[in-house]
Amino acid sequence: MTCDTSSSGCGLEKLESLSDDSITEISENWNGFCSASEALLKGSGDLSFSDELVIRAKNLCKHGLASLVEQHFLRCIEEIFERNGARRFWNYFESYRNAAPSETNKDPILEEEIQQVICKALEEISSQKQFQEKCLLLLARALQSYEEDKLQGQANPDSTRVYLFSKYQLIVSSVLLASLPHHFPGILHWYFKGRLEELSSVAAANSEDEDELGMDDKMDLDEKSKLPYKCGDMDSDINQKYAVFSENNKLVKNIGMVVRNLRDIGFTSMAEDAYASAIFFLLKDKVHDLAGDDYRSSVLESIKAWIQAVPLQFLRALLDYLGDFTSCNDPSPGLKSPLASHPSLCYSGTGIPSEGLVRWQLRLEYYAYETLQDLRIAKLFEIIVDYPDSAPAIEDLKQCLEYTGQHSKLVDSFISSLRYRLLTAGASTNDILHQYVSTIKALRTIDPAGVFLEAVGEPIREYLRGRKDTIKCIVTMLTDGTGGNPNGPGSSGDSLLEELNRDEESQEITTVDDDINSDEKQAWINAQNWEPDPVEADPSKGSRYRRKVDILGMIVGIIGSKDQLVNEYRVMLAEKLLNKSDYDIDAEIRTLELLKIHFGESSMQKCEIMLNDLIDSKRTNTNIKATIKHQLQPEQRDLDVSLDNLNATIISSNFWPPIQDEAVNLPEPVEQLLNDYAKRYTEVKTPRKLIWKKNLGSVKLELQFEDRAMQFNVTPLHASIIMQFQDQKKWISKNLAAAVGVPVDVLNRRINFWISKGVLAESMGADSADHAFTLVETINDTGKSGTIDGGCEELLAGEDDGERSVASVEDQLRKEMTVYEKFITGMLTNFGSMALDRIHNTLKMFCIADPTYDKSLQQLQSFLSGLVAEEKLEFRDGMYFLKK
Amino acid sequence: MHCRWHAVSSWTWDAQDETCGICRMAFDGCCPDCKLPGDDCPLIWGACNHAFHLHCILKWVNSQSAQAHCPMCRREWQFKE
Repeated sequence: MTCDTSSSGCGLEKLESLSDDSITEISENWNGFCSASEALLKGSGDLSFSDELVIRAKNLCKHGLASLVEQHFLRCIEEIFERNGARRFWNYFESYRNAAPSETNKDPILEEEIQQVICKALEEISSQKQFQEKCLLLLARALQSYEEDKLQGQANPDSTRVYLFSKYQLIVSSVLLASLPHHFPGILHWYFKGRLEELSSVAAANSEDEDELGMDDKMDLDEKSKLPYKCGDMDSDINQKYAVFSENNKLVKNIGMVVRNLRDIGFTSMAEDAYASAIFFLLKDKVHDLAGDDYRSSVLESIKAWIQAVPLQFLRALLDYLGDFTSCNDPSPGLKSPLASHPSLCYSGTGIPSEGLVRWQLRLEYYAYETLQDLRIAKLFEIIVDYPDSAPAIEDLKQCLEYTGQHSKLVDSFISSLRYRLLTAGASTNDILHQYVSTIKALRTIDPAGVFLEAVGEPIREYLRGRKDTIKCIVTMLTDGTGGNPNGPGSSGDSLLEELNRDEESQEITTVDDDINSDEKQAWINAQNWEPDPVEADPSKGSRYRRKVDILGMIVGIIGSKDQLVNEYRVMLAEKLLNKSDYDIDAEIRTLELLKIHFGESSMQKCEIMLNDLIDSKRTNTNIKATIKHQLQPEQRDLDVSLDNLNATIISSNFWPPIQDEAVNLPEPVEQLLNDYAKRYTEVKTPRKLIWKKNLGSVKLELQFEDRAMQFNVTPLHASIIMQFQDQKKWISKNLAAAVGVPVDVLNRRINFWISKGVLAESMGADSADHAFTLVETINDTGKSGTIDGGCEELLAGEDDGERSVASVEDQLRKEMTVYEKFITGMLTNFGSMALDRIHNTLKMFCIADPTYDKSLQQLQSFLSGLVAEEKLEFRDGMYFLKK
Repeated sequence: MHCRWHAVSSWTWDAQDETCGICRMAFDGCCPDCKLPGDDCPLIWGACNHAFHLHCILKWVNSQSAQAHCPMCRREWQFKE
């Protein structure tokens, strides 16, 4: 603009000194210039008016009208370009106004058509532009030569040309952009996408061609087999491949041409946007395609390889191509036809990627990481469900997160899917625990410090605390090597036991380490390795101690204290030990040793005594048997029950959980035998004596009938019931109950076992309350199908009835709490109504001595709700009342 | 009919009292110094027929400078033959 004003100022001064001749000359020249320029610009390739134009322009310049000449010429160009170039250019795309956006329907014909139209339109507008540039160059030369004459070669030779061309470029792009139809970017995007897809399929085909030599023909495997190249490492292999790639592909050239043409008409950024979005689109598709729902293999490497193989190759070729053009064409743009083949498509092969390419690679990789990460995070729940198998997916996710750092996204998304899918009433506690353990294991890989695990685990723990059977399930998982989870053959129990083992090993290792490293050295190493907590860390948790993700610790954390866990374990152990008919407790000893390491020896003391009882029992049992051998009993027993067939578990009852005692009359010979055994025990172990728990234990029975023999493993009560039928084939329930020594209802419940096995048959007796039971000697008697053949082993029958030999923890609690019942009723009589808190506090205040009130609020609550269920209390609006 | 019976019983010391008069722990348990009850922590009877954990009464007897007495009845402590 400065140039403009100065020259026009010049003109004004000159205007006064103008003669008529000069005016005529000027007007003549001006008219000539106008018509010449119009003719030239419209002449479509005809340069016959160029000489006149140059002369007229020079003449006008002599009169100081250079700026006028420039402006007029440019305006002419603009008009013509607008009229011819731009309108025609946009007309090409008019028919695709509605076609382009519908990306879903892949119409190859339409795609092809669009592709051709784009090329054609761009070619045309480029040639138009080149023609105009030629014209402009003429003018520029004319102006320049005048300038040179005037200043005797002191002027910057290029300034006018550069100025004019930049002006022209501006005109072209502003004209085009001003009339840009809104669907054009879409069409461009579509075009690039189509081209890239073509390219990637070509690349895939290429790689298959190369791998034909005995390689697997699966594309995925191919890509994986070519993994050796890492990011940024463009070794010769790639260069070679790239050479093949770009030589074989005119495609890249075509695309490059399109991009170049777009740049030419000032659509640089739009073109970049379009192919960038196409590349990202393709990359996303590829990631989704590769990653899919398969978590058993790592896909990150193949994605990286693909980035190297397709988009980066493409970009490299493109950038090379464009770079070549600009460098070659800079001196005289527009004089070379864009269609002219470029023999020097020099991918110089030096292997140094250009800065732009590196930047692209980083962008693409980040995008790939982010896409994969989002994909994996969205499916994290499923991934963790089949965790040990899905470890590769977790590993991928870990790498992605290291790159993107979007851990909080993971935490949020995973928590919400947990709430939605796992922490619902429909999920079994076992499943939740199993998932919890898997989560711990999986997240431990991603984040060894356990910061995110803390956040993710909290909702699960919170939820599990509200479940009644949590402790039981945990203990089962801990102890039961075969897994208490029938629908999970992978056996959660196994994994926890392994965990116990693993921790033990790691502890051993650390102790060894401690011995080797001197403390100071270790401290220095620790200090050097210190890393700040991630920002997401909960500051209230404190980071002074090095967090160690300890699965067992986190599991115990659910319950709150290890005492409850140990107590539950004790009950389960007791149950298991009491039902053992051999003394094989190796597995239990192993588990106990592991638990001792974790929970401390003192808390497992009682359990240890229990196991010790079993070991002692075995020894004592052998001793007692040995004494019998010495003094053979002269009298023969009618029943096949000798001391050989009696084994006993002798327990130290003080250290066992309270045991259910139920009176039962054992058959006379067995009773005799037990007395014998006890007598011998007293002889061996004076002054100790035995107290039989007659209802406990197990009996292995073999029943022989007329036509079959059956084996059972049953409780003593069941055994004594069936033994009553040895002498008497038919019993009335009342009499049988009396003989066995249990109430009638208990008998009726237990006898069902034998009925269900087809050993006994039930019929109505004379009295309606009395049932009659008869022994089924032959199967045909009842018409029961003979599915039961001899030698079938039954499970311990007691389990069927949910009968337990040991009082459950809840029962124990209820027993302990009954002491406070009269306190509570007393309080409620005085105060009328009380809230739970107040009852709890009052009990704490007054029940100091024997028995001290040491129950938790939850325990009190469950006891009170028990009282409510028994209709002793009433519960309204958070207050407890005495039931009137 | 053939059967193998596995019975369960608990053992107890055949003493008149429930707890040891010295450590106040149950006889069927063990004295404070022991971990395992039964054979490892036996009872012992004095001539006066009072029973204690062996470890408890030994500690008591050893701590007395002169002739030890039964902590329950103050008679001279003699181990029951």
